[in-house]
Amino acid sequence: MNQTWSRWGMAAALARRDFSWRFRGLRLLVICLFLGSGALAAINTLEGAIRQQLAGQGQEILGGDIEFSRYARPAQADELAAMAALGQVSSGMRLQAIAVAGDRTAPVQLKSVDARWPLYGQFRARQLIAGVADSNGAGGAVTAGEVTAGAPAPMTAWAGQGALDRLGVQPGDSVKIGNATVLVAGVIAQEPDRLSEGFALGPPVIVSDQTLAATGLVQFGSMAVAKYRIALPDGANLQVIGDTFQEQFASQGWSVRTRDRAAPGADRLLESLGQFLSLVGLAALIIAGIGIAGAVASWLDSRRGTMATLKVLGADSTDVLRIHALQIAAATVVGVSAGLLAGMLVVPLLARLLADLLPVSGVLVFDIGALARAGVFALLVAFVFSAPALIASRTVTAMALLRARVSPMRHLWRRALLPVGLGLAGIVVLTLLTAHDPLLAAGFLGSTAIVLALLALIGVAVRMLASSAYGHTIPLAMRMSMGALGRPGAPTVALVTALGFGLSAFAAIAVIQTGIDAYVAGTVPERAPDYFVLDLPRENAAAFAQVVESRAPGTQIRTAPALRGAVLAYGPEDDMVRVADLDEIPEGAWALRGERGLTYSATLPPGNRITQGRWWPQDYTGEALVSIDDELAVALELEIGDMITIGLLGVERTARIASFRTIEWDDFGFNHALIFSPGSIENAPHNLAASLILRGEVDRAGLLGALVRQFPGSAVIEIGPVLGQARALLGNVGAAVLAAASVTVLAGLAVLLGAIAAARARETYDTIVLRVLGASRGQILSALAVRYLILAALLSAIALALGAGVGWYVMTGMFDLPFRPDWLVVAAVLTAGALTVVMAAVVASLPVLRARPAQALRDL
Amino acid sequence: MNIPAIRAERLLLTLGRGPGAVEILRGIDLVVPVGQTVALLGPSGSGKSSLMAVLSGLERASGGMLQVAGQDFATHDGGGLDEDALARARRGRIGIVLQAFHLLPTMTAQENVAVALELAGRADPFEVAAAELAAVGLEHRLTHYPAQLSGGEQQRVAIARALSTRPDLIFADEPTGNLDSATGQAVIDQLFARREAAGATLFLITHDPVLAQRCERILELADGQILADTLR
Repeated sequence: MNQTWSRWGMAAALARRDFSWRFRGLRLLVICLFLGSGALAAINTLEGAIRQQLAGQGQEILGGDIEFSRYARPAQADELAAMAALGQVSSGMRLQAIAVAGDRTAPVQLKSVDARWPLYGQFRARQLIAGVADSNGAGGAVTAGEVTAGAPAPMTAWAGQGALDRLGVQPGDSVKIGNATVLVAGVIAQEPDRLSEGFALGPPVIVSDQTLAATGLVQFGSMAVAKYRIALPDGANLQVIGDTFQEQFASQGWSVRTRDRAAPGADRLLESLGQFLSLVGLAALIIAGIGIAGAVASWLDSRRGTMATLKVLGADSTDVLRIHALQIAAATVVGVSAGLLAGMLVVPLLARLLADLLPVSGVLVFDIGALARAGVFALLVAFVFSAPALIASRTVTAMALLRARVSPMRHLWRRALLPVGLGLAGIVVLTLLTAHDPLLAAGFLGSTAIVLALLALIGVAVRMLASSAYGHTIPLAMRMSMGALGRPGAPTVALVTALGFGLSAFAAIAVIQTGIDAYVAGTVPERAPDYFVLDLPRENAAAFAQVVESRAPGTQIRTAPALRGAVLAYGPEDDMVRVADLDEIPEGAWALRGERGLTYSATLPPGNRITQGRWWPQDYTGEALVSIDDELAVALELEIGDMITIGLLGVERTARIASFRTIEWDDFGFNHALIFSPGSIENAPHNLAASLILRGEVDRAGLLGALVRQFPGSAVIEIGPVLGQARALLGNVGAAVLAAASVTVLAGLAVLLGAIAAARARETYDTIVLRVLGASRGQILSALAVRYLILAALLSAIALALGAGVGWYVMTGMFDLPFRPDWLVVAAVLTAGALTVVMAAVVASLPVLRARPAQALRDL
Repeated sequence: MNIPAIRAERLLLTLGRGPGAVEILRGIDLVVPVGQTVALLGPSGSGKSSLMAVLSGLERASGGMLQVAGQDFATHDGGGLDEDALARARRGRIGIVLQAFHLLPTMTAQENVAVALELAGRADPFEVAAAELAAVGLEHRLTHYPAQLSGGEQQRVAIARALSTRPDLIFADEPTGNLDSATGQAVIDQLFARREAAGATLFLITHDPVLAQRCERILELADGQILADTLR
């Protein structure tokens, strides 16, 4: 043991003395690790920062420690009393509404708050109106100032800047919301609980409860959410309090949210985005690994002389391996440390891209856990990819000094199997342990291995083809290119694998992004309505149709009863499962979470198809029946004839399952997981929802104005701006994803440049011989360009096929969307990538061209 | 009974396999007593360097028996030391000087000499290295890198390195091959002087018959076999 330690000590001393701190020969290793670990560190740190912020600011984001909410009905006296017993309560309503100023309209999220709002965090509004406006909205002078708490004065509102812009009003002007005219008293500068309000179809407008009542928008059964936030005493058990309340008021439709899950939308987004970005980072690291393998192999190859000399002096192969392993480890530590530092520094930039979506500030974050995870991944990748070449270096004998070397180092695969296997196992275990969705992560690792193997096979095929491409009829430039790709020891396989992987990742991102964009921008408007109308009273349906027909003849109107309720129990009639008794919601049974949109219909709605059972006759009046989305049916293991109980406005209703349906989710019409037969839920108070699909040229402003005037209690939402908003958000996510994906291409380029640098001596020799024989620099340059053009064109074609395959799987398998990428954009992205490869290769090869024959021949 | 420095019987070296195989050494029988100086002469391609490589443990013999300082490098039944065991056997006991110097370019003269001592696990490698370099007249070049030294200086560093561990056996393969005659003469003088001081066995490969005359024994090699063995 002592002997081993002393040999390690000796190896460390020699390694330190022999090491070039300018990383001569190991720069590619350092760059690859820098890129890979940097990408992963940035992604991990960003995700950690957002998570921390979500957790740390949970109270503020939620506006309380716990929130009870439900659709349509404010809390009853006993419910209020139960809440008040828990702590201080702040209540309010949220609903979609239309604000009108003159002939302009804007969809807004109307939010009523009480004097205690916000229980946590700071609210800030600018440009306040001094004094209190009367119900006509008159009076008050604009003064500079700020408020930080409480509800606005009666008949005044604080509005988001977006609403003011859309309506063309200033603080001090009035707007009409429902039946009320409201004075805009201030502009919202900071709304602490914005993130927990979810995706809104318009900017916020905050009013008091009294003002909301004056609008007349909240009726029994309308699509308004009543929210009650409670500040609990320290040490209160959130879970127990939530469960107890729900048990006490079971079937009353209450949803519970706690401060540790303050913004589930952001949580979900973070989870999927974080997971996706982590996988992209890992992909970058794997490409970096290919670069590391090449870098280490060529560095060790250049060290044969030193190795042999050491052996002549009495070093055995273990000594030589230790010396070089320690030097690689030193370069690895430097590359990884620099990468982790850069990753940490880039986080504020990434945060700015995602600021609209997630609670993340642009400050520097030092998350030791995130950095450690990225560091361990990078070290494992460095270990796995450098081990084979390092172990192969054992085959260098002392005789290498005396005998000209004729072949590359012999690989000792069997010896490398154990360390490489252990390293790979480490990567797999760490990936699965740190993944939010281990199955997806395992799938990613599996597919990565398959893609890498496929690319390596293609690389071998290219090398074999190139080596057999002889013929006097082939032009010289082409022959030279083929020779360079096909000769023994050519780095063709590594180049094809690394660049192919990077370009494939780029192509896949382009396919997915243009596919989503096309779906949102192109596909949706074909089928989506131009307007959605919420809370249209049933008795106004005919009048509504009349107004629409008179303003926009030919408009297709679809209406559906809109109710909200929660599934309380399901299953065979004599053995129903109570949702409240479930420890965990079954996978895919998202409809069991909280209240869902419900409807009833005599006929099967368009876009639906019966897969099992039968739809009820149009004039059906018997037992309550329900038709269920077949995916939900599978998730709940339902059979035709089973029962479902829902809680609807505090009343339990049970219906028998008559059929299962498939639902086309890409239809922007009305999609309901549960559709009841007429008569089963019809008697519950409710309104209609309507969608309008316009035909031909229509005066949209006129139509909107007329609808808002005629039906002030209804919210008319124009889909175009909503889609625009969604597109902008997706664009930001896309930019973040693209930034991460770019690292994969950069890593691929680093591999290319490393391979060029490694082959420089050989290239110089070839170039000199050709120059001596009379070749011009132009001819040599064109031969170089041809070689890399061939390689880039081939890799682009491979990347297109692989990227399209991955994109297709993601679009159709994961997102359940049609596969409609913009091939022109994908081709442009790939062409740009391929040209970058050629340019980088040619530029990196210029030093070879500059070699002067006479001088070089002396040096050879 | 005195154990010879080198004892070889029917020593073979064949490179390559099958029809392309080349027989380099074809049955060498040789006994070199401790402390003897031996010159190995022969034309290019006669197998001189290969014989030195096998005798010094840089190359494994393909057949025959070889004992170096009493240790079995190769036995008649095909046994013997593997590559790593040969390296360990060389460590501290065999010094090798090659025509192309083969200094480590990333290390200074002193460090280059110290490496051999460190590998042999000797104490105070740097002090010993400095003394060895001083012994070959390079005390002013301790911190110079090989690229900053002349050819003669580099070869003197190589000699200092080979002798620094006080080896029993010194192998020198055309040590003056890359030097002009005056420099070569000085280097050879120092090699012999240092050997003399150490009392080591010297095995010198050379093309130069005059240089060979400085040794007690001259072997002539041709086509992988010893043609003449002259004791002077």
